[in-house]
Amino acid sequence: MSTQSLTTATPKPRRNWLRPLFRDWDRTQMTVSFIILGLIALAPLVVDSPYYLGILILATLYAFIGVSWNIVAGYAGQLLIAHIIFLAVGAYTTLVLLNQFSVSPWVGIPIAGLVAALLGVLVAFITLRYGLKADYFALFTIALMVALRTLFLKWEFVGGALGIGLRLSNPSWLKMIFDNKEPYLYISLALATLGMILQYLIYRSKMGKYFIAIREDESAAAALGVNTSLYKTLAVVIGAALAGIGGGFYAMYVTFVDPPQVFDLGLNVEIVMAGPIIGGLGSLAGPVLGALVNKPLAVLIRGFLSAERSGTSLIVYGSFLILAIMFMPRGLAGVLHSIYNKLSRQSRESKSGGSQSGSA
Amino acid sequence: MDLQIFFQTIVNGLFTGGIYALVAIGLTLIYGVMLILNFAHGEFLMLGMYLAYWAFTLAGIDPYLAVPIAALLIFGLGALIQSGLVQRVLSAHPLNQIILLLGVSTLIIGLVQFFWSAEAKSIHVSYETSVIPLMGLRFSIPRLIAFLSAMVIALGLFLFLRFTRVGKAIRAVSQSRDAATLMGINVKYIYLLTFGIGAAVTAIGGVMLTPNYKMIPTIGQQFGVIAFVVVVLGTMGNFLGAFFGGLIIGVVEAFAGYLLGGDVKIIASMLVFILILLFRPAGLFGRRRA
Amino acid sequence: MALLDVQGITKRFGGLVAVNDFSLSVDRGHIVALIGPNGAGKTTAFNVIAGFYKPNDGKVFFDGVEITGLRPDQVCKLGLSRTFQVVRPFGSISVLDNVMVGAYARTSDTRVAREKAEEALEFFGMQKFAGSTASGLPIASRKRLEIARALATGPKMMLLDEAMAGLRPAEADEVIAMVRKMSEEKGIAILLVEHVMKVVMSLSERIAVLHHGEKIAEGNPSDVVQDKQVIDAYLGEANVTSR
Repeated sequence: MSTQSLTTATPKPRRNWLRPLFRDWDRTQMTVSFIILGLIALAPLVVDSPYYLGILILATLYAFIGVSWNIVAGYAGQLLIAHIIFLAVGAYTTLVLLNQFSVSPWVGIPIAGLVAALLGVLVAFITLRYGLKADYFALFTIALMVALRTLFLKWEFVGGALGIGLRLSNPSWLKMIFDNKEPYLYISLALATLGMILQYLIYRSKMGKYFIAIREDESAAAALGVNTSLYKTLAVVIGAALAGIGGGFYAMYVTFVDPPQVFDLGLNVEIVMAGPIIGGLGSLAGPVLGALVNKPLAVLIRGFLSAERSGTSLIVYGSFLILAIMFMPRGLAGVLHSIYNKLSRQSRESKSGGSQSGSA
Repeated sequence: MDLQIFFQTIVNGLFTGGIYALVAIGLTLIYGVMLILNFAHGEFLMLGMYLAYWAFTLAGIDPYLAVPIAALLIFGLGALIQSGLVQRVLSAHPLNQIILLLGVSTLIIGLVQFFWSAEAKSIHVSYETSVIPLMGLRFSIPRLIAFLSAMVIALGLFLFLRFTRVGKAIRAVSQSRDAATLMGINVKYIYLLTFGIGAAVTAIGGVMLTPNYKMIPTIGQQFGVIAFVVVVLGTMGNFLGAFFGGLIIGVVEAFAGYLLGGDVKIIASMLVFILILLFRPAGLFGRRRA
Repeated sequence: MALLDVQGITKRFGGLVAVNDFSLSVDRGHIVALIGPNGAGKTTAFNVIAGFYKPNDGKVFFDGVEITGLRPDQVCKLGLSRTFQVVRPFGSISVLDNVMVGAYARTSDTRVAREKAEEALEFFGMQKFAGSTASGLPIASRKRLEIARALATGPKMMLLDEAMAGLRPAEADEVIAMVRKMSEEKGIAILLVEHVMKVVMSLSERIAVLHHGEKIAEGNPSDVVQDKQVIDAYLGEANVTSR
């Protein structure tokens, strides 16, 4: 009878290429996020219904917007509450450029990002110049949102109270108007992917470390050579630009915006805040996890509450926010992180335990 | 602008300002004691309005008689929110506090929208267009009643804080939580009370606005923002500041409404707000509370 | 020419004069201690030198350049680093990441920054903590992290604000060794604020004494501790050979 152990120490070849993807928590987050995005990319193969595809489109877009807010509020820790103003400005810019100046959204959306970035510079400048701290900064952004809403209500050039709608036209790639959902899904997936990559690059770079340092302790950061004003401005501007781009696509997809719709805290909670908070503010995977759990879950719950009645999405998102803060302050990513730590501890222990096969 | 319109605008502004003062007092009380900005504050006002609406359509109760009911119910709601939710995040990161309250605000708006729909609602009482003409000016009776009630309640609250034991305890906590604890004051209970009172007072303001007022579930948001403006203007945590600040903003808004049109008058408050934040963040009454 | 040249700085807070006409110079590679009772103005002086406060009067020069009124990050980039009395780690990230923030003061390249950070940790024998989350460290390690982080910025001089406070004797000895190593091996000048006299006596070449915001004595350690004014204001007779 052989006493040699049947399970030898040779690693199973299938596992080899998986390991590097999960080597550390950061990589794991990126891997998981891209797996989710990848699955969504494959969704049109199995899903026909425009309704469900529509949910995926919005969820993916929300993930992208979530990344934009995550950079400012999660990594740099700035209390920029009314982030929606950047999305709104981006939405308006894109539609105005298309309707009044026949500028293709493929150009219009990047321009929207630029315009939103300029607004971001203004916000950062005012905040820093006048030393608006934490709470006051939050209030300032909200007041700005209300002021912008009123302004846009009266501004005839952008439609005033009637808002701006996409001029009906035949489907065209140039105008980013499609008659089926798939192209929208791929654009929004592309945005989400670019957002994740950008977020990761920032996170691993000097800028990312500086953002985190500012969040953790601004004075200590300054003492270590961090130009806090510059980097806070960068965080706001980057977040604003991305939100502006997202807003541009949002406008092309929903085809109509008006001031009370987009300069609205309820929309802010749904698009900007709910995702990262549920997913985990300040984490790499937070925006994707959060948005992809959020939106479908919200739709499901609304179905139970009879989705036609208004207010249901507010009920859902409000509850999500409350539950997240009370029970899951580090979000889904935080929960997964604990699980990951436990699993990797176990696997390390079993490896050291299992290598006794030589001493049978 | 002739003199009569000028004074009429001031009167109208003061009447609205009285409500603002009440709402702001509630907000500043909460901030002064708990150092937390109640981002759900406007929703208490909105709930007051809808409760009055409900009482009126259900049982024909005159809105002004609904005041005690609304006050009690919203006090209870406020106390519940404080002890169940807010208490847990008092020592958490400000971002978490803001998010929690935004969540509460969103949830409340959602619930109201669910039960009463997003359509504008209003109640009409028989005396809503009655006016008392005095000195060439017209004093609208409902608004006059609202204003006087607001003054009475503000005064009552002031006396309560000044002279009763509980009121003094509240003021003690707002000055130094630790010292108050050492004096044997049950701080958690004070927090509960304060949040409840702040919410109730605001709801009363809402009730008194109802006659002939178009209400929608999100109406609280703009009052909430205005309340913040008033609180910052009057210095955060300062009772008298909130009171006078409310009257001032009411008048400023009335003039803005006359000059620019009713739907954009809120921009006047926003401009005032931004100006204060930039040039005198400590408010009219100076030193900002730490 | 002195590396750090503080010339008559005065700092007022409303009616209170925290630091009054304070002058001090520290030469390259030297260790100077600043002592005095609590509230004497030592940390205020540090904050003025490091750029956290603007002085009402006076100037500060570092390596020949006037740094009065510069921002803290600008002062750091010129080669003057500081630590804080109550340590301020970046709690939710790792020790290595903490030190890397310091290293980025000299480079924008992540690989270079990581190398510098690892060097700084090795210099203090802290490599094994590299992956630990900063908030989980005990106080002694956090104090060492604070110094390692400042070292990673590649300074010519360091301001150490009560680096020994709260440490047990053995832990304090470790920090003393760190400071000495920085001075001897890297030629970094040190200005330290300290209450623990044993540390002051064993490390510093010169001592300045601050009392009610004014310098009441300065000189070599043995002279200063026997100065009557210093004894009256701060030391007390028995403290000359304390601990």
